[in-house]
Amino acid sequence: MEPLGFMETIMRRVQLSAEDKDLLVKEADWGKNVALQMADIFYDYLGRDEEMNAILNAKEGRIHRLRETFTEWFHEMFTGIDGWSKAYADSRWKIGLVHVRIGIGPQHVVPAMAVVVTAVRQQLRRDQKSEALSDALSKICMIDLAFIEQAHAQVLSEALFKETGWTQALFQRLIAKGAETV
Amino acid sequence: MAINVTKLEMTLQEFVANVGNVQGAAIVSPDGLSLASSLAPGMDDERVAAMSAAMLSLGERIGRELNRGEIERILVEGQKGYGILTSCTEEAVFLVLTDRNAKLGIINLEIKNVIEELRKQLLGLAQPIGL
Repeated sequence: MEPLGFMETIMRRVQLSAEDKDLLVKEADWGKNVALQMADIFYDYLGRDEEMNAILNAKEGRIHRLRETFTEWFHEMFTGIDGWSKAYADSRWKIGLVHVRIGIGPQHVVPAMAVVVTAVRQQLRRDQKSEALSDALSKICMIDLAFIEQAHAQVLSEALFKETGWTQALFQRLIAKGAETV
Repeated sequence: MAINVTKLEMTLQEFVANVGNVQGAAIVSPDGLSLASSLAPGMDDERVAAMSAAMLSLGERIGRELNRGEIERILVEGQKGYGILTSCTEEAVFLVLTDRNAKLGIINLEIKNVIEELRKQLLGLAQPIGL
C-alpha cells in the first residue's frame, strides 16, 4: 500500500478541508499543552482493560515508550508534520504497523480512539474552543484510525498470500462468496 | 487467436458426457474466476471456481514447502466421490468431479488427454470450429 495515496483517499472521504487544517495548525500549541493530560486519560482507560493492560506491560518500559509516542502523535495531529503530506502518511502507516506487531488490533483501537475523541471534546469545551476545531480533530482521529485498521488488514492478508499463494483477487472472491453464506 | 468460449464449453460437456463416472468439470483462472464449466445443476459456478483456485494454489504451496516437486494434481476424496484439480496452463486450472465408483487410473488418463486439447484452446492454438 502507498500511504500517501491511502491518506488522500481517506481525507477526501472524511471531508478534511483546508480550513480544518488551518484551524488545527493554529491550535497546535494547545494540542501540545493538553497532550500529556490526554495520554493520562488514554492509558488509564487502557489499563482498566485486562487484555490491553497485558499487551501494554508485556515488556519492561513499553508503556513508558508508548506514552511518549502518544504525546508526539497527539501533537502531530495538530501540526500535520509536513502539512498532512508524505511524512505524515508514512508516520501513520508506521504507527499502524507497530500496533500490529505488538498485537493491538482494531477491536482495541476503535474504542480507545473513541475515548480520545470524547476526552478531547470535553477539554475543548472546558477551554472554550470552537466546535469547528473539535470537528477537525475528530476527522484527523478517523484518518489515523483508518491507517491502523488498514495496517492490520494488510499485514494479515499479506501473510495469508505468502503462505497460501493466493492472489488478492482470489482472496476477495472467497470472502465475498463466504459472506453470502454467513 | 482469441479463446473460443463456446468451444471450451463444448469440450467440457463432451468430456462430462463421454467419460464414465464424471459428474462435472470446470476451467477456472488462478484468481478464482470461472472460464468455462459443465457442472451438475445446483452447483454454484462462482463458488466452485474460487474454491478450485484456492485449493490448487494452496496445494502447490504445500508441495513446495514439503519439497514434493512440481504438483501434478490435487485429489480430494470424499464419501460421494472425487474432486481432481490439475493445472492446465499458467492461467487456468482444470477441475473434474467424479462419483465414488470412478477408477482413478482411467480418470487421470482421460484428464491427461483432454487437458492437451484444453491447453491448445486456451493458448489459442486450436483450429477454429467448422474447419
